[in-house]
Amino acid sequence: NAVPTGGMEEVAVSTRGGGGTRRMKWALELSLGNTRSRGDRQSSQGDTLYPIGYSDKPVPDTSVQEADRNLVEKRCWDVALGPLKQIPMNLFIMYMSGNTISIFPIMMVCMMAWRPIQALMSLSATFKLLESSSQQWLQGIVYLIGNLLGSALAIYKCQSMGLLPTHSSDWLAFIEPPQRMEIMGGGMVL
Amino acid sequence: MANLRTCLAFLFLCCSLCDAVYEDQVGKFDWRQQYVGKVLFAHFESHSQASKKLILATDKNIVASLNPRTGDLFWRQVDKAGPEGHIDTLLFHGQDAVVVTGNGRLLRSWESSVGALNWEMLLDPGSFLAAVLVGTQDSVKFVAVLKKATVSLHYLSNGHQKWTETLPDSDTVHYQAVYSSGGSQLFVLGVVPHSHLSIITFNIEDGEITSQRSVDAPWLSSIQARCTVVGQGVLICADASTLSLYMLPLSSEEPVGLQQVPLQSLDLDLALGFQPVLLTTQPNPARPPLAQFFLQLGPDHHVLLQLSDGHLSPLRDFQPAFLVSFATTGEKTVAAVLSPKNETVSSKEGVKRSFSEQSNQGSLITILFERKPDLYSADSGRRLLDTTVTIHLDPNGGKPEKLYVHAFLKKDDSVGYRVLVQTEDHTITFLQQPGRIVWTREEALADVVTMEMVDLPLTGTQAELEGEFGKKADGLAAMVLKRLSSQLILLQAWIAHLWKLFYDARKPRSQVKNEVTIETLARDEFNLQKMMVMVTASGKLFGIDSKSGMVLWKHYLRNVQPNAVFKLMVQRTTAHFPHPPQCTLLIKDKETGLAALHVFNPIFGKKSHVTPPTLSRPVLQSLLLPLMDQDYSKVLLLIDDEYKVTAFPSTKNVLQQLQEMASAIYFFLVDASQGKLSGFRLRKDLSTELIWEVVIPPEVQKIVAVKGKRANEHVHSQGRVMGDRSVLYKYLNPNLLAVVTESVDTHQERSFVGVFLIDGVTGRIIHEAVQRKARGPIHLVHSENWVVYEYWNAKSRRNEFSVLELFEGTELYNSTVFSSLDRPHLPQVLQQSYIFPSSISTMEATLTEKGITSRHLLVGLPSGAILSLPKMFLDPRRPEMATEQSREENLIPYAPEMPIRTEWFINYNQSVTRVRGIYTAPSGLESTCLVVAYGLDIFQTRVYPSKQFDVLKDDYDYVLISSVLFGLFFATMISKRLAQVKLLNRAWR
Repeated sequence: NAVPTGGMEEVAVSTRGGGGTRRMKWALELSLGNTRSRGDRQSSQGDTLYPIGYSDKPVPDTSVQEADRNLVEKRCWDVALGPLKQIPMNLFIMYMSGNTISIFPIMMVCMMAWRPIQALMSLSATFKLLESSSQQWLQGIVYLIGNLLGSALAIYKCQSMGLLPTHSSDWLAFIEPPQRMEIMGGGMVL
Repeated sequence: MANLRTCLAFLFLCCSLCDAVYEDQVGKFDWRQQYVGKVLFAHFESHSQASKKLILATDKNIVASLNPRTGDLFWRQVDKAGPEGHIDTLLFHGQDAVVVTGNGRLLRSWESSVGALNWEMLLDPGSFLAAVLVGTQDSVKFVAVLKKATVSLHYLSNGHQKWTETLPDSDTVHYQAVYSSGGSQLFVLGVVPHSHLSIITFNIEDGEITSQRSVDAPWLSSIQARCTVVGQGVLICADASTLSLYMLPLSSEEPVGLQQVPLQSLDLDLALGFQPVLLTTQPNPARPPLAQFFLQLGPDHHVLLQLSDGHLSPLRDFQPAFLVSFATTGEKTVAAVLSPKNETVSSKEGVKRSFSEQSNQGSLITILFERKPDLYSADSGRRLLDTTVTIHLDPNGGKPEKLYVHAFLKKDDSVGYRVLVQTEDHTITFLQQPGRIVWTREEALADVVTMEMVDLPLTGTQAELEGEFGKKADGLAAMVLKRLSSQLILLQAWIAHLWKLFYDARKPRSQVKNEVTIETLARDEFNLQKMMVMVTASGKLFGIDSKSGMVLWKHYLRNVQPNAVFKLMVQRTTAHFPHPPQCTLLIKDKETGLAALHVFNPIFGKKSHVTPPTLSRPVLQSLLLPLMDQDYSKVLLLIDDEYKVTAFPSTKNVLQQLQEMASAIYFFLVDASQGKLSGFRLRKDLSTELIWEVVIPPEVQKIVAVKGKRANEHVHSQGRVMGDRSVLYKYLNPNLLAVVTESVDTHQERSFVGVFLIDGVTGRIIHEAVQRKARGPIHLVHSENWVVYEYWNAKSRRNEFSVLELFEGTELYNSTVFSSLDRPHLPQVLQQSYIFPSSISTMEATLTEKGITSRHLLVGLPSGAILSLPKMFLDPRRPEMATEQSREENLIPYAPEMPIRTEWFINYNQSVTRVRGIYTAPSGLESTCLVVAYGLDIFQTRVYPSKQFDVLKDDYDYVLISSVLFGLFFATMISKRLAQVKLLNRAWR
């Protein structure tokens, strides 16, 4: 950001002047008879006085180029394809963790389920990220699909671990005992 | 490999099921009480001044020794139940208690100090008539046993037979008594009814008949109780028809006839229906009996007579006098007379005798059932002692039945005595001289017939809170005020409790009384303490605190027939404050068939003010409906022999409800003698109509048991989860009956046991199973969707368990209502059998509040142990080969043998002798089931079939946990402070 911009320097100096010993990237010496340390330093470096607005460092070219656009595009696709790329890894983890119910598989499943959900929750933020891309909508959909696939995978895992209440036995505890219609009693003749 | 895995799984399962008590838990929530039964014979061991032991023989075939100071058992020897072990007589001498058992089958001698068996002799066959100790030359050496046709003499020291002799003419002469007086002769007395008396004299040394004579006695029919030997061998008989006594010297050589002494000549006034009973005493078997004897003239009239120089003279007339008894110490003999106090103190008697009355005058007037024994010595005709003692007997108890007196010589040579009184209700009371009750034993509890457990009432404050919720809402402000006031009351109670704790803590521990009285009874936090209402065969009701085993109330029902049938029902629980709880006992007399209702409060034992209906017709069955009247008392229906129904209570409200509900009320009756099961439906006019009938031909098989389900049983889970996570729904028919039959033919090859599952509403036979080559006795438990029964396999000669489980399938037919009338599909029935290594006495299933806890079967074994057998082992779905799915279901692979693990014995070493029944009741905790096993003993405990999942363990380390918690809390506080300081320092830098 060392771009000199006309008459703003004075202001910059006056604001940054209080910085004490802080080393400035550049400074404008307005009075020659200044005996401050900065002057000392400059004099120690040499007597060469640069013209106003001169900088030793090359100024980067900030003009938008065609190659950058491609980069942005690529970066956006990276973001959009991220969830999809995780799926093979998740599949591997799923396979490795097995279907037993213990602390590690449960932690894995929770992670697997939580990440897509988190991603879906912050969907708008991701869309903002993708705003600069020309294929914003396509990327958004791919991102969504990737996350949905991730969560579907998590659900499948839950299912194969038997964590989903999909069987009648899971609802057994909620069945009320049937109401009795007849009253009956009796026994052996006393 | 798979096998190994199943084995491991099985082992793991077994280990996890262990639920034995720890050593420090012994007696913490369980207690046992031991009883002996109704006393038939009692002797005091009187070696020294104070009696050391009391030897008893009872109708439960028990010889026992009691501590006379506390009433506790020293030892108890239990023989076989039934006539085989019946104790015919108990003779006591020195340290030996000689017992004849099983109608003269065995002669045994018990060592009285430790209860060890000295010796046992098998006697010759023949029905037992009498036994007597025989002494010669002042020492007791033999026991003479008289049987129908023989008389034998045994050594007292080792039981060996000295001689045995057959009695002449034993087919015509009824020999009934044997007598010896220390000489060398043994007299055997027999009678030919209404003809003559036969007297045979044996020589003790060799058993030779030395003389044999017969005396005409046409009036005599029986020697027992009518004849006795008094003084120097004089036989005295009483005759009711001629109102006279007859005397005959036994040992005289010349033939003399009976000498008649009319009772009028003795100045005795006789009551009508005179049934004379003679009572004499022979303090030492080696000496002749005393010359004094009692003659009973009427039910409450006794007279003490004396024989001197061949002349009878009355010593004293006792009227009224219920019981008389003799007791001897050293050379002194006292006679005790028990007479009712409030009638006795007539001036005539009082002036004549100078007895020292030690009675409480105040109590004399108030207590109606006061009785006093007069004691006086009758030693050689000289009156040494004449004392009166007032005994206060329980007004709720029965009349005194037997009196045993123990006399002892005090240091100043006067005679002291203790009295054991047995009353009709089988209570034995032991009294000391000033009339103080030393102890009482409620021996009626040895024969508990049925019982119920009733919740204790709430305390005042709890009831206050309950009342708040019970009442109708009346405005917000009023409700808030009410709530505040009840909270205040709670606070007050809590402060009072704290104050009491503080106050008690200052006192030494021994002084703090923790006694349960009927006033302090209140429900505890988890409803673990309940009132056990026990009904005993003698007709005495008991209320026992289930926590401590203390008898809190007792009530004796007079005129209950000995073979009466009892049915106890809880009509109103304690939940309906302020209405008192109410229990109803149906007592049916077997002979007349007539029944009576006893309505009482189970907490206090008091008879209720509610008047039960009078039942004019014999009652066949009763039925407790879930309907309630406006006072929250459940309706009891009584079915008489005309199949008409009487309702109790029968208020208008009840009758109206009954009319509305009539079409849904069914009942069944089982007539075992005709093999008939019949179902009835109630009509609106309280008559009934027969709707079904099942006849099981009684000439082939007889019905031995019918069991429905318990009314208070809850089933939480409606199905079972299979390995593939589908559901197998249980067939939970509340109207299902399990009927067990046994074949009449008991031949090993042809005998069988039948099990029928019948719907009690429709009479539909749901299932029938026949177990061939099986025999009873059958024990049966019917609960949830399963029936477990135990039988004897006659072919393999072993006991077997069989379990039937009923399932509806994977779909429920109707999940909201159950009606027996609308069940088109029969259930699937699964069955499996197992070998059980022991026979069993009784069986019951555990019961919990909500039915979530897994079930155990409580099996009473003849050894006295109570086995808590997990129902998991009795599961017809146990696979032969373990598969993935069966493992998922936690099914144990099938093994034919059922294990008995000693850690499953819930009563560890507290054996319950002759266990007859087990009662289970739910507590307020779902994990806990209260168990009472009764038989000869009573044992109460708690069981946790699924362990204590809802309570912290006994040994829970509160100190450690709370110290860790506090430590962490303070550590957090300190570290927070430190972190703040550090942050601040860093900010300053």
